[in-house]
Amino acid sequence: MWEASPLTYVALIIAVLLAIFPIAWSFIVASRDNSSVYKIPPPLVPGGEFAANTQRLLANDQAHFLIGLANSIFVSSVVTISVVLFSTLAGFAFAKLRFKGANALLLIIIVTMMIPTQLGYIPLYILMIQLGWLGSLQAVIVPFLVKGFGVFMMRQYAMSAVPDELIEAARMDGCSTWRIYWNVVLPTLRPAAAVLGLLTFMETWNEFLWPYLVLDGDTPTIQYSLKILATGNYTTDYVQVFTGTALAIVPLLLVFIAFGRQIIGGIMEGSVKA
Amino acid sequence: MSVNTHAAGMPRHAASPPPLDPGQRRKQARQVRLGRLDLKMSPYLYVAPFFILFAVFGFFPLIYTGWVSMREWGLIKGDQGFVGLQNFQEVLADANFWNAMLNTFGIFVVATVPQLLLALMLANWLNRKLRFRTALRMGILLPNITSVAAVGIVFGFIFADRYGLANWVLQSLSLDPVSWRGSRWASWTAIAFMVDWRWTGYNALIYLAAMQAIPRDLYESASLDGASPTRQFWQLTVPLIQPTILFTVIISTIGGMQLFTEPLMFNYGAAGSGSGLENFQTIAMYIYTTTFEGNFKYGLGSAMSWLLFMLIIFFALINFLLVRRSLKGSVK
Amino acid sequence: MSVPRRRLRGIAAAALAAGLVLSAAACSASDGDSGEGGQSTIVLQYFGSPGFDAAVAAFQSANPDIKVDAQNMGELKDFTPKLNQWLATGQGAGDVVMLEEGTLLGYLETPDKWTNLLDLGAASLEADFLPYKWANGFTADKSKLVGLGTDIGGLAMCYRTDLFQKAGLPTARDEVSKLWPTWEQYAATGKRFKESDAVKDVAWIDTATAVMQPYIMQNSQTWFYDTNNNYIVEQNPIVREAWDFGLQMASDGLTGKLQRWQPDWNAAFANAAFATVPCPAWMTGSIAERAGDAGKGKWDIATIPGGSGNWGGSYLAIPEQSKNKEAAYKLLTYLTGKDGELSSYKEKGNMPSNVKALDDPAFKDSTNEYFSNAPTGEIFGASAKSLKPIYLGPKHQGIWENHFETEMRNAEQGKKTSDEAWAKAVADGKKLAEG
Repeated sequence: MWEASPLTYVALIIAVLLAIFPIAWSFIVASRDNSSVYKIPPPLVPGGEFAANTQRLLANDQAHFLIGLANSIFVSSVVTISVVLFSTLAGFAFAKLRFKGANALLLIIIVTMMIPTQLGYIPLYILMIQLGWLGSLQAVIVPFLVKGFGVFMMRQYAMSAVPDELIEAARMDGCSTWRIYWNVVLPTLRPAAAVLGLLTFMETWNEFLWPYLVLDGDTPTIQYSLKILATGNYTTDYVQVFTGTALAIVPLLLVFIAFGRQIIGGIMEGSVKA
Repeated sequence: MSVNTHAAGMPRHAASPPPLDPGQRRKQARQVRLGRLDLKMSPYLYVAPFFILFAVFGFFPLIYTGWVSMREWGLIKGDQGFVGLQNFQEVLADANFWNAMLNTFGIFVVATVPQLLLALMLANWLNRKLRFRTALRMGILLPNITSVAAVGIVFGFIFADRYGLANWVLQSLSLDPVSWRGSRWASWTAIAFMVDWRWTGYNALIYLAAMQAIPRDLYESASLDGASPTRQFWQLTVPLIQPTILFTVIISTIGGMQLFTEPLMFNYGAAGSGSGLENFQTIAMYIYTTTFEGNFKYGLGSAMSWLLFMLIIFFALINFLLVRRSLKGSVK
Repeated sequence: MSVPRRRLRGIAAAALAAGLVLSAAACSASDGDSGEGGQSTIVLQYFGSPGFDAAVAAFQSANPDIKVDAQNMGELKDFTPKLNQWLATGQGAGDVVMLEEGTLLGYLETPDKWTNLLDLGAASLEADFLPYKWANGFTADKSKLVGLGTDIGGLAMCYRTDLFQKAGLPTARDEVSKLWPTWEQYAATGKRFKESDAVKDVAWIDTATAVMQPYIMQNSQTWFYDTNNNYIVEQNPIVREAWDFGLQMASDGLTGKLQRWQPDWNAAFANAAFATVPCPAWMTGSIAERAGDAGKGKWDIATIPGGSGNWGGSYLAIPEQSKNKEAAYKLLTYLTGKDGELSSYKEKGNMPSNVKALDDPAFKDSTNEYFSNAPTGEIFGASAKSLKPIYLGPKHQGIWENHFETEMRNAEQGKKTSDEAWAKAVADGKKLAEG
């Protein structure tokens, strides 16, 4: 392991600054007035307008920002809970239970991970029309309640993390398979399940195209609200746009600051195991 | 439902059970039966939710896309019946489709090559004895957690023609300002910048994980042989993390071929028209505008989706072969 | 195994189940369901900023038995695909929906999706509307009235007096109007303006495409389509003439080469980067917003070259799928009535299409403080009264916005030759028209 030279630090710090700048800039602009959007050079210190800008944003009846925020929190939470539950269940079955056809089924799951989701959007959209779900939240929840990647990830983790002896012992005690899942497997899988949950939450939160297709301006997700805000034909209140942009990042930033270490661990683990 | 008589994988009780009265015996028998049923059926129950939901919302749409692509079908006029491969012919004869293909591929190349090289360098720097390690890692991953839509908005302002930040930087270096939507290269570069800003850090962490799995003693013996750190990097590190590089190239391909939100936001939220859109309309945007705007042509859109899918598979294979060959060549 | 943890899991499972149930019950666009106390709910879906707020509030207090759910659906280009979805699938559309004039004829092609307003008693309202606006709301065979007019976009020419003064041009609005009875004279004045060194970096007009619209309206009865809805742009010499005229102005260096509604265009107002801009009534508010306090009193309004023209304007209609047509009709006639349209004019500057509102002093004698107290009512009113009706055709808006405007801008910015851009616009427009 080499020592890091000062030059390495300089390079890394420049990289981090580049990474942070657009986000920081949107926060700074969000706290100033409209003249600062086109200020050259850009302002580097926040101003005192954040509250006023937020007030204008919440009063904007086109973007429905608060509704978008609430919808996104709801949709992302439901999808996350469901994905984690079904992934741990199926992952446990594939890793630790013997049943006919397991290998074939697992292969199918691996293949599904390769298929781009967009490919099925047109029929899925027609299906939504037939179900009468356009413009309502189940259209952005139900199709995403399971995730092949999640099942695969949980299986990989369960293989090594859950000792067979533990399951055997529980069986000796007369536990049913379900009790084993609840009381033995799930607690063991918790770290990996947390990472999967965080990744799923972020992904759902940031999803753009599908909500944009099936929802409408009256029932938006946060990303849809942002789009309306940014491209509203008659808007010039760019500070409001930046305020929305900044506020839409805040929940994820909080998650990231709280669980960043785990997310990084998850990304690094997953890639080596895959 | 038949109850299987031999209990697979049931733990054998070492001690023989004490004698029981008939009631208890019946209860135990029922428990054994339930236990067997539980063992047999549980796994299927546990994987069922995934497969049922996937069948309805994943697999069925996929097959259905193929079926729709052979029909004349639009929202307004409804299903006009089977037309065979006519939609495919129409797509392949459509200049706008090829234009979108060119843009998609162009942006992919302009974005991916520097991105992966940069990610390699970043990973290499992070793979040292560092103070504030977690903070630095979090810092470079930060862009990845922000939403594409938000990034698109912010970068849309940075790349505004007259009053944008990017042109100000160019002008302060006494270069000419660029019309960012005015030419293919300019718009490709701007969009590639957005994509790279978001994904470089993520890929760097993946490379870093692979690098940390390389045994230390390989480096030690290389150092004894007098190989410089640079040479060690190109001749040891890169060949050894080859599978990971391949993995990121394929993931980038799948993502790159479906690029939609960044160029959409770069075009102020319009998929079907706008200033200089021809220069950067991607295939996903063209599918979107064909299918969900204007005339809502599901049949044509589905045909394009299938072509895109085949293209992704094709490129993934090409990548696979190319990366494998070039890396084999570099290990001497 | 501690109890609380198990309880937590139970809660999580319950939350998931509840979530699924809740999401299944989440409301989509409702369809006139009866609310509490025998109130009926009417959904009004509109786009842009039509200025309905005060009018809807007034309607509510006059009709306590009707609850209005006014839904702002964003921009026209966001709203159009969604509305098409709802109409095709027979669910989701509001009880009263707003239709832009450029998209109206497309909806008239499927008359069965719409309620005939004549059945609800609209025939008596004919005298209340400008004749062309009234006539355009009918289907081709005149048997069905689909929409009543909300606003119109009578055109004038907004100009910056400070820049005119610098360039040595007259600044008083009557004299300015006399400078350009025709478009040729308007272009000539632009060249005179550009000769002055004091305004070297200022364009005469924001974009070449802004010329095309009024030019065609003044000189032709049709645009992309003939009245049988055939796509005839290649046989309509006026369209090409307008195209060439606009691009000629561009190559003479008179245009700003901007794209309307985009950040650079918005910023150009604040930076006084062009001297004139064709403006319909509803745009006066947009200009004031963009040019800001710094531009107050520096703008004025003159007549448009050629004397008339229209940019934008909408209708209100009731989809056949509405379950509460009577109440919907009440709201529709209020919003398109004298009080409703005057309220919109006050709120957002949208100019009435209702003759009673146009003749009302509240409109006729109105002035605009921001624009040097220009008599807006008089100027826009005159432009609207002399307007010749033009037939737009089913997909006019898409052909114009997505293809012709885009390609003309490409030619203006020098990305393509005029002929290349024209050929592409014609071909792409044809594909949309006939697809």
